[in-house]
Amino acid sequence: MPLRLDGETLYLEAECGVEEALALLEHLAAPQPPAIDLRTCTHLHTALVQVLAACRPRDVTPPDDVFLARWLMPLLDPSMP
Amino acid sequence: MNSLLACFVPESRDLLQAATTSLLRLEKDGRDEALINEVFRAVHTIKGSSGLFDAAPLTRLVHGAEDLLGEVRAGRLTLSSDLVDHLLDALDQVSTWIDALEQQECLPGDAAAATQEKVTALRAMMPAGGDGAVAARGSAGEAHADWLSLLDETERRAVSQRLADGEPVVAIRYTPDESCFYRGEDPLHLLRQLPDLLALRIAPRMPWPAAGELDPYRCNLAFHVVAVTPQAAAAHLFRYVAEQAEIVQLSPDALATADTADDSPAALLCGLLTEQRRVLALPAQNADEMHQRIATVAGTLANLLQGSALPFRQGDVDAAVSDALDSGRPEVLLTLLDHVQRGLAPPRAEPARRAAARVLKVDQDRVDRLMNLIGELVVSKNALPFLARRAEEVHGNREMSREIKEQYAVIDRLAQEMQGAIMQVRMIPVSDVFERFPRLVRDLARQLDKRIELAITGEDTAADKTMIEALGDPLLHIVRNAIDHGVEPAAQREAAGKPGCATLRLSACQEGDQVVIEVADDGRGMDPARLRRLAVEKGLLDAAQAGRLSDQEAVNLIFRAGFSTAAVISDLSGRGVGMDVVRTTVDRLGGGVTVTSAVGQGTRVRLSLPLSMAITRVMMVEAGGCLLGIPMDLIAETVRLDPRRVRAIKQAETFVLRDEVVPLRRLADLLGLPLPPADPDAHHAVLVARVGNAPVGLVVDRFREGMDVILKPLDGVLAELRGYTGTALLGDGSVLLVLDLKELL
Repeated sequence: MPLRLDGETLYLEAECGVEEALALLEHLAAPQPPAIDLRTCTHLHTALVQVLAACRPRDVTPPDDVFLARWLMPLLDPSMP
Repeated sequence: MNSLLACFVPESRDLLQAATTSLLRLEKDGRDEALINEVFRAVHTIKGSSGLFDAAPLTRLVHGAEDLLGEVRAGRLTLSSDLVDHLLDALDQVSTWIDALEQQECLPGDAAAATQEKVTALRAMMPAGGDGAVAARGSAGEAHADWLSLLDETERRAVSQRLADGEPVVAIRYTPDESCFYRGEDPLHLLRQLPDLLALRIAPRMPWPAAGELDPYRCNLAFHVVAVTPQAAAAHLFRYVAEQAEIVQLSPDALATADTADDSPAALLCGLLTEQRRVLALPAQNADEMHQRIATVAGTLANLLQGSALPFRQGDVDAAVSDALDSGRPEVLLTLLDHVQRGLAPPRAEPARRAAARVLKVDQDRVDRLMNLIGELVVSKNALPFLARRAEEVHGNREMSREIKEQYAVIDRLAQEMQGAIMQVRMIPVSDVFERFPRLVRDLARQLDKRIELAITGEDTAADKTMIEALGDPLLHIVRNAIDHGVEPAAQREAAGKPGCATLRLSACQEGDQVVIEVADDGRGMDPARLRRLAVEKGLLDAAQAGRLSDQEAVNLIFRAGFSTAAVISDLSGRGVGMDVVRTTVDRLGGGVTVTSAVGQGTRVRLSLPLSMAITRVMMVEAGGCLLGIPMDLIAETVRLDPRRVRAIKQAETFVLRDEVVPLRRLADLLGLPLPPADPDAHHAVLVARVGNAPVGLVVDRFREGMDVILKPLDGVLAELRGYTGTALLGDGSVLLVLDLKELL
């Protein structure tokens, strides 16, 4: 199960496919959106990327995966316009 | 003419001139990126603007030239002299058509055919495999350049490093289809497979909707990628989504363009400010951390303020900083940064162009009209002293007279200032005439197979536009002469121990109220002996006269009408007109011309002209009952002459002035005016003028005062009249005829 909610943190783990997009959106559109932990995520489907980019979760723990950490994180940076 | 066209015509002429100048410099400098870009930009702008008018052939021709320049810019084509010839030829054609557009608002009927021929010629210069693909590539390359400038410093350095190492670098703009997720595509996964990714930018195509309205299965992302891989490999990877990805091979200059775009101080400042905002926007663990950050940012801003002209004041920053420190929230500071950045953003779009837009282009006629009006004001204010005198003498009102004089002083000062100001407006730099010479020299040198370096100095020297415009033709003659007669072929120069490449110096400077223009070559110089011999052969002088000439006088022979030194009449010069035309023209402008020459070392022609000819100082004299003006610069002195000192040599009257025999002429005689009954004992009023360096005495009835006047040339039917320079209006409303002594005598 790539999406795991534990307390106030939503863990995205291993390979996260397109089928998780709706679930992720529901979590982030909730009145109290969870923090996001990408540490063990190895790949994020583009559909999930755009959900994250659109919802701007307040707290994101960067992934260990080099590709994602380098290229994806700037997009999720809340200071970027 | 519609107003768009009225803008297009002068703008295009400027651009054409800029393109020509840069092309010529490029021909020498080879690969100067900035110059190539400048030519490219000029041609590109003309192409863009010309699309607004019914001038398809012009647009096509410029497009052809642009394609070729694109190849040069991309480094696939070297700019040979032949290529420059073709490009200049195309620009010439465009220039002719722009003239046609100005006059008839349409291109001549044969334009399409001419374009076809020239475009074919340009195409022939294209490297193999060019043509259509090139045009597409050009525009794509440009489109990339705009986002390449978004790369950060490290990335950019990496890209240029790899390019310098000769590795293939591609830029990819990948815009996945909105419904791509339904087809099982995962763009990010695709990008992961690119080896050696140097940069990847992910950005939404449209602003994000609120979370509730987001459709997660509709792709709204676009990707910009720079990767080190051959174009073919990238194309293979994107083969299933080929229509969604634009793949461009980067050339070293693509990044250079981006570099120049981004290295402007404003852009750097913008970058720094963005960083400050990021620092401020980072979530802080506690109030202390936020305080520290605010303090850091405040420090940076203070430093920036010292080093540059930022559009905000220290006071604003202090206020925002203390507010932020008090509240522990950076919002106020962020807003300030926002404002500042918005203020900085515009300069990114070509600051030079913006500055130029503030210059008002005014029709010369309007300036001339203003100048005439001011001239009339100067003249009409001269009526006030007359009025003052009348008030006193006729009406016996001394107080009134004094008040009029006071008012006169004020108006006089204002009029003089206005006159000075309008003179400034009319001043244009000599570069206006100089700028055509690089092209001329290059073309002539190629035609004659000589090597000539043109050195231009002092092109900023300014003078009245009438002067500058009148200078064009004389200078053309002189430069042609220098190239044709002065400069020897390279082989001959080397044999004489001179560098094979000749130097032609064109310089301008201001000396007092004169502008001095010199044309100097380091060619073979003029041989006085040969000039004497030629003068005799042409029957201008007899052998004895020629023998008496000093070397300098012999050199001056070239100013005689009908004296041409070229042994063979060439296409360029040597039609027997030339230097005499130069002298006549310069004389008419009230200037002078001198030539010095040393055999084997070169020739120097020096033109000196008054800075402005709008105001002429004349001396008024009476002759035959008429009031006449004589330009002050010709007058050497005035003398009272005892009639007994007049000696008649045959029919000519002369007198001796300080051991020099001076011919004496009666002005009334010269003008066919009735001679007043002369008192045989009365002294003659003689005005000694220097005409063509020889003194001549003019007998007049009476001397009057000197005066500044605005000289208006005789035009229309009167233009035919010889002997008069023009007319001027006097303070009492009468017209003064001003004599042209050179023509009269």
